[in-house]
Amino acid sequence: MSWTRRSRLFERDALPHLPALYRVARQLAGAAAADHLVQETFLRAWKYFETFDSTTNCRAWLFRILRNVWINRWRKTHLELPLAEMGEEQIEPYYDWEDEFLREEISAGIEHALSDLPADYRLTILLADVEELTYEEIARVMECQIGTVMSRLNRGRKMLARFVRNYDQERSSGPKSAAFSRRKP
Amino acid sequence: MMDCKNIREILDLYVDGELSPEASVQVETHLAECVACRNTVARLNRLRHAVKTAVKQYQLPAQLIDQVRQSTVFQWRRATTWVLVAATVLLVAVLGFFSSQVRATVADGLEVAAFHLDDSRATVMEGKLLCRDCLLKDEYGYHAMCPTRGHHGSLQTSDGKIWHILDGDASEELIHNSKLLGRTVRIHGRCFRRASSVEVDSYEVL
Repeated sequence: MSWTRRSRLFERDALPHLPALYRVARQLAGAAAADHLVQETFLRAWKYFETFDSTTNCRAWLFRILRNVWINRWRKTHLELPLAEMGEEQIEPYYDWEDEFLREEISAGIEHALSDLPADYRLTILLADVEELTYEEIARVMECQIGTVMSRLNRGRKMLARFVRNYDQERSSGPKSAAFSRRKP
Repeated sequence: MMDCKNIREILDLYVDGELSPEASVQVETHLAECVACRNTVARLNRLRHAVKTAVKQYQLPAQLIDQVRQSTVFQWRRATTWVLVAATVLLVAVLGFFSSQVRATVADGLEVAAFHLDDSRATVMEGKLLCRDCLLKDEYGYHAMCPTRGHHGSLQTSDGKIWHILDGDASEELIHNSKLLGRTVRIHGRCFRRASSVEVDSYEVL
């Protein structure tokens, strides 16, 4: 592939996904590290662009790179990546959603709740709910089975709902307890 | 026919559009009749919507767009631009060198240098004896008078330069004996570079 063609295709296929990559990076890594994460992702994408199969979803390919860059970054800083817990193949019915919770507009606590989710659950939810990737595409990004994607979505959403509820309850019970007990990613 | 338990096990697939069309129809049939399941779907969708709204608020910083473009597609364009500039300069230089005007300028420069470096000295020159007028005729179309006035021997050295042989006792044969034309000779004498001339003390035909 000539450089001119490569550049043109990269501009056409990869660069338009910058906003999507950024918002997910922002949720994954926080405001301070998001820029670097995105830049490194696109540098790698540019480097290996010839390996990209243009018949597939470029955005999903970029998310896969982003995830790998992010994991490597965590490894470099010697922090343990909070991966999904064991037994994640299980899917539970939505029986515990019968209370008042989620009948009203969801509070601002959603952002805090999201950042409290285990990393792979969080990314799976972002890819499904924000980026609207198919389960198959998510499985490729996350390098896991479709069944794992389904269970992460199922458990992640329930977990997320609980976190939001707890946050709302803590906020409404008083300013001192408003501090959200965050699990560090 | 799906019941509430079946429906709630596949709600994620339903809201994510991952069910087959037939299964979706079955879910929708059930939802049309079951308020509790409808509410559950509404809550799930509200949660999904809240996630989307929260995350989509992040605006891509303008400088990040520039940085990414600079480090990817523009990086090679800059490099390519420099390569093109360098190639153009080289091409112009090469073409220029072979253009008669530039060549003449360079030749003039060399002549000036030679003029300033000139110093007549005893020398031994070796070259081919050729008719100067015939050479000029072949190369520049000079109207040579050789057919009527006879050839005029000159020395062409290996660098292509034509040396005028100054008249003298020792050089008579070299200048006027046409039979020596085309022979290689070694001349002992003095060269006057500024005048492109050589004074002959002696010579030998090789």
